[in-house]
Parts: sequence; C-alpha cells; structure tokens
Amino acid sequence: MRRTARPLTGTALAVAAAALAAAPAYGASAGDLEVSPSSVVPGGQVTVRTAACGTDGTATGDAGAVGAGSLGLAPGPHGQDVTGRFRVPPSAQPGTYEITATCSGSGRRVTGDLVVTLVSGREQVHPRGSVKTGVGGALGPDPLQTAAGVAALAVAAAGGTWLLHRRARGDGI
Amino acid sequence: MRRSPRYGSGVRNPANAAMAAVTVFALCSGAWLLRNGAETHAPPQPSAAQARAGQDGRAREQAAVPALPPSPPDRIRIPAIRVDAPLTGLGLTRTGSLDVPPAARKNLAGWYEAGTTPGEKGTAIVAGHVDNAEGPAVFYALGALAKGSTIEVDRRDGSVAVFTVDAVEVYAAKDFPDEKVYGAAHRPELRLITCGGGYSRGTGYQGNVVVFAHLTGSR
Repeated sequence: MRRTARPLTGTALAVAAAALAAAPAYGASAGDLEVSPSSVVPGGQVTVRTAACGTDGTATGDAGAVGAGSLGLAPGPHGQDVTGRFRVPPSAQPGTYEITATCSGSGRRVTGDLVVTLVSGREQVHPRGSVKTGVGGALGPDPLQTAAGVAALAVAAAGGTWLLHRRARGDGI
Repeated sequence: MRRSPRYGSGVRNPANAAMAAVTVFALCSGAWLLRNGAETHAPPQPSAAQARAGQDGRAREQAAVPALPPSPPDRIRIPAIRVDAPLTGLGLTRTGSLDVPPAARKNLAGWYEAGTTPGEKGTAIVAGHVDNAEGPAVFYALGALAKGSTIEVDRRDGSVAVFTVDAVEVYAAKDFPDEKVYGAAHRPELRLITCGGGYSRGTGYQGNVVVFAHLTGSR
C-alpha cells in the first residue's frame, strides 16, 4: 500500500535506532493498543496508539485482519507513545477485527479491537422531537361509503315513487 | 277489481312486493352507509395497560438475544395488525426531527438510515404514516399493538430479526421524550413511530404513538 510505504521506511530506520537504545521503559498504562475511533465505517481513517513501546520507541502494526495490511507506528507529538494511521478498505465487511502492534525494541505485542459498522456509531445523531406521520385523512368521511349511501337512497326514492304511483292508480299495493 | 281475500288489503302484485322489498332494503342500507361513512375513523390508541412498566415489568419480558451484525433492513412485518411493508431510508429534517416516507405511498415505512440497523446493538428507529390524504396508511393500527406482539424485520444479509413488543405509548409532540424514544440502548432495540394522541383540525395530530420492542430471536 502506498499509504503505508513512508511510515514503513521510517520504521526500518527506527528499528535500527531502537536496537541501540537500552531496555525500553514501559509506561504505566501500556497494556493495550488504543484504536481511534473504535467504530468506523468502511473507507474510514483509523489511528492506533500505544504507550507500550516506551518513549521514542517504534512499532509495526498489523491491520491485515480488516484488509489494511501492515503499518508503521512512530513516536507521537508528545513522545510518550507511538502512533500510526491506516485506512479501512471500502470493501471491508462489518464486524470486529483485532489490530495488533509489535514494539520494535522489546518485541512486546499489544492488541486492540476495531469495529467496522455500516453506520458510524460514534457520530450517531439521534433525531429530536415528534414525527409528522399523518394528516388526518383517516378521520374525515369516507367518500366511497358516502357515495354508496347516496346511490342506495336514490334507489329507495325511485322505488318509493314507483310504488306510490301504482297505489295512486289503484294497482293494489 | 276484486281484491284477493288471502292478502286482504295487502300486496297482490308480485312485482309490487319485490319493489317494496328493494325499496325498504335500499332505504336501510343507504341510511347505514351514510351514517357510517360520515363517522370519524380515529386510529386506535394504546391503553394504559400497554405502557412501559417499572422494574418488575422488565423481569417478565421475553429474554433478549445477542445482537446481530449490522445489515440494512428491507421489509417490516407485524402479523398482529397485518402490516407487511417495504422500508425506505430516512434522514433528518432541517429542525433535527426524523424525516418521514413519502405520504403518497401508503404502504411504505422508513428506517433511520444514519442510526442503528434493526437487530444491531442500539436503538433502531422505524417510522410510518398513520394516514395520508386518502385514508389509513401503513401504521394506522400501530396503537392497537399489545405487549408480546411480534415484529419481524427482513435484512439485506438474508436474516430476519424478530422483535417482541415491550410497550406501546403515546406522547404529546410538545413534550416529546427524546431520550426514551431515540436514546442509545445496551441491547438491540426497535422503536416504531407513527402519529397519534388526538387530532385537531388546525394543528393535526397532537403527538406520536411509539412502540418499544427488543430483539428476541432471529432466523
């Protein structure tokens, strides 16, 4: 991947540097690989960070599980931890993937979970307020029934008139 | 003319008898049709018995099942009120409220596309019209649903998410409990929303009927 090419070169240099360094100092909260955001949509950018590799350390990340290949982790702006970035392939399927990073110096391996969702859970905006799902069309008179009623009454009127005529003519109703 | 002794002054001519019968029948049915047609057909509203229960009510609920992976829904079925409708994606309006499906298609419901997919962990939202200008629409009978009723959602991955109704509530629009209805959930939940809560000619429906359900199975 073109995106990871440069950090990987950086890693190679860093590996050499790390080899010269003394025993790496572990940070206090150095247990895990922090994945940010922890939930991402396919095609999204992900940043991983860990303090497990100590100050000025480097690491090699593996995001192959989600199809993003390997990446390099270089010291972050604060020097306390190493960070790296990768892009989740647009073709990635929803699911939970394990992302790993191995410290170049100590060989220590840390992992973190990345959740790929179709919709971004983290930036989910909830709707507000009521929903306009009706206009009252069910409430008014039913035009079909009204028309049928009028037609039936017309038939009744015609029948009644006919019968009254017969009666007036003495046809014996 | 001699009157028939059998009928006395009654009907002698069979044609007259038939016409009299038709006339009486037409009169009665005409009156019934007019009266029935002019009546208002307000959509059913949930009773207090269908309201959200307290702590003890939760214990009686059917056990929730693990969440399904995300997959967009295609269709919703509610056998108890004979709903079987396709689902379209919905966004938000400019004021932040949930948009609605096109009113002209009366048998069409919508789901909130930027939210949780039905079956996934969280609160999935489905909305449908109670009526349109022509008459009742897809969610007309939503207020008649009862606790324990089943809602099925066909998903694009081929699975069917089965939800069980926990409660049916009606909320006034001017005091709508956003968090209760749309808020995140720690398990796969579903909300069905339609209009309800009384109607006034000037301002339309006064609120929404909301069905609360949670995932109890899949196949």
